[in-house]
Parts: sequence; C-alpha cells; structure tokens
Amino acid sequence: MIFRAVEDADLIRQAARGNVESYNLLISRWEKRVYNYLLRITANREDALDLTQDVFLKAYQNLRKLDNPERFAPWLYRIAHNEAYSMFRKRRPEADVDEMEPAGTELGITVGGSSVFPIELSLSVASALERLTPEQREAVVLKIYQGFKFEEMSEILECPVSTVKSRLYTALELLKVELAPIQARGLS
Amino acid sequence: MSCSPFDLRDYFLQELADPQQRRQVESHVATCRTCHEELDRLRLTETALFSLREEEIPQRIAFVSDKVFEPSPMRRWLAGFWNSSARLGFASAAMLSVALVVFAATRPAPAPAPVPTTTATVNAAEIEQRVQAAVDKAAQAIEARYDAKTTQLVNSIRQKDLRERRLMTASFDAQGAYFERRLQASERDNRNLRGQLSQAQLGDGEGAKQ
Repeated sequence: MIFRAVEDADLIRQAARGNVESYNLLISRWEKRVYNYLLRITANREDALDLTQDVFLKAYQNLRKLDNPERFAPWLYRIAHNEAYSMFRKRRPEADVDEMEPAGTELGITVGGSSVFPIELSLSVASALERLTPEQREAVVLKIYQGFKFEEMSEILECPVSTVKSRLYTALELLKVELAPIQARGLS
Repeated sequence: MSCSPFDLRDYFLQELADPQQRRQVESHVATCRTCHEELDRLRLTETALFSLREEEIPQRIAFVSDKVFEPSPMRRWLAGFWNSSARLGFASAAMLSVALVVFAATRPAPAPAPVPTTTATVNAAEIEQRVQAAVDKAAQAIEARYDAKTTQLVNSIRQKDLRERRLMTASFDAQGAYFERRLQASERDNRNLRGQLSQAQLGDGEGAKQ
C-alpha cells in the first residue's frame, strides 16, 4: 500500500508536467472506485459514467493546483462530489439540493453472477440505502464502501468531522433496524 | 446504548487509533454481553452492505495524447526546468554569479547585483498561463464536439421517428382502404343475396297461386 501510494504520487507529478500516459495509468487505478462512488450517490449508470469522465478531465486540468500528491484521493473525491451535486442542481435548480433524492432506479444491484449473497439481501440493502437521506447515504458510501477516514470525509464533504460522524452513525442505526429481519434469516 | 469505555462504533470503523484504547474496548466487549451483541450487529450490518457488489465501469476512460493538451517539447523542457526547485536554484545561482562577475568587471560601485528571480517568476507564470489557456481551449473544443454529436444524434432520432410515423400512417391508410373495399364488396353481396331472396319468394308465391 505504501509502494502504491508512492507510485501514485510519482504518476501525479509526471501527469502534472503534461505526461498523458502517466495520467491514463492513474485513471486506470481509480476509475472503478470513482465510478462506483458516483453510481451509489446518483443511482444511475449513465450519469455515473458521464460524471466519472468529467471528474477525470477536471482533475487533469487542475492537477497543478494539488499541493500534496499524497492527498490525491480526497481531492479527487471532492471533485466527484462537487460534480455530482452540480448535476443535481442543474436538473432541479429550484429545489434544495439537501432534499434531493437520486432517481432510485439502479442502485448498483448486480443480479446473478457469482455473488455469495442472495438477491433478496442485495435488494433489501439497496432499498434500505435508498431510504436514507442523500447525506447519510453518501457518508455510508464513503466510509463503508470507499474506506475513507473521518478526516478525509470531512475534506471531501466540506463539513466538520462531528457532522460526518453524526450522519454516518444515524445512517448505521437506521440500516441496522432496516436490515435486522433479513439478517436474521440470511446471514446469521 | 453502549457502556464501552470508548465509542464502539469508532472502534468498529477503525477510527480508534490509540492501541491502548482499542485493547480497553476489546477487553470490555469480551465481558459485556450487551456491547458484544452491539458489535455483532454492526458486523452483520456491514456484511449485509457488502452484498451490494462493486460494478465494473462500462467503458474505460483514457485521454489521448492530444497535441493541444500536450505541451511542445520546448515548453515541456521549460516547464520541467522551472518546476524543478533544484534546477531553478542552480539557474538562479548561476545567473547571480554571472551578474556579479559582469557587474564587478564593468562597474566597481558597491550596489548589490539584481537577483534575476523576477524573470523566472514572469516566465513560469507565463508558461502556466499558456498551458492553462491551451487546456481551456481543448476543453471547450471537446465540449463543442460533444454538443455537435448530441445535436446530430437528436436530429437522427427525430428523423427516424418521423420516418416511422410516416410508415405507420401509410400502413393505416392502406389498411383503411382495404377494409373499405371489403365493406363495399360485402354490401354488394348483401344486395345480391336480398335480390335473389326476393325473387325466390316471388317464384314461390306464383307457384302457390297456380
């Protein structure tokens, strides 16, 4: 992981000097994670893909402004967060972004394949996540699925750590209640 | 509510950095049934959340080595040169030495030699500005290409829709004409049948009179 971080930092420095190949390599390392983050908060595959492309273009344009290459991940996710919320605002300019819900059509459920989990569980989880507020859902996505620290989440979401914790803990309480019956049947 | 010495959720989410605090939570959980169950519930919730798998990106993202994006070799050399603090320092020192030598040789006055950092700053700023302008221009070009492509797609969908509508209208017209012809033929048959029936009835009546 340490070696990987060093390599990322090298790639960032080279890309900032105009080396497109280094940037492409950097993209190949991060595109899946960024796409899945955007997919979870927009609940739409097309939007997630378009936003992912925009995020990497914007990141390339602003790479020179990144002071510390070690902080690339939260910096990149901050761009992704801003791009997603900018899209929400453009689509419903009259509404308060805090009250917005994603389309709720494709919350990343992959049916079939080699999943060890029953589809009933995946559907229940998707539905439970949909019932959270957008802020709570994003906190769960950043912490549970993307593995960020509270401090990094605070940087990405531009809010205090206490707010991040409050959103995440409320979301976890709600999810525990929502998923308890199905856990009792399927997981335990 | 947990009675753990530190927040169980912080412990579970790997946000309790101090190893001693972690050990205290672990020894508490080993003896407290309520906290043990709470930790189990958190683990189960997390496992349930992981039932939603990550998806593969449907289309890989890559940037082409566009000439507009890519600075010229001279510009790259300059950017590399000015972005390297060691080189910049060396260049400044060299320029300062040259300036000192020239100054000492030409004017023995005790005025300090000018430090050529201003030029460096100006050049670096100019390079930055040019690169930014090129990137902005390229981004605008890409956006324009996307817009043009979108317009083209929308037009082609509209034309296709129009063609389909025309075909459907033509089909409805043909079907209408066909049913009209069938109706007319059917009415003709009915009239013939009625004529034949009335003639037959007349023939029966005359036969009965005779």
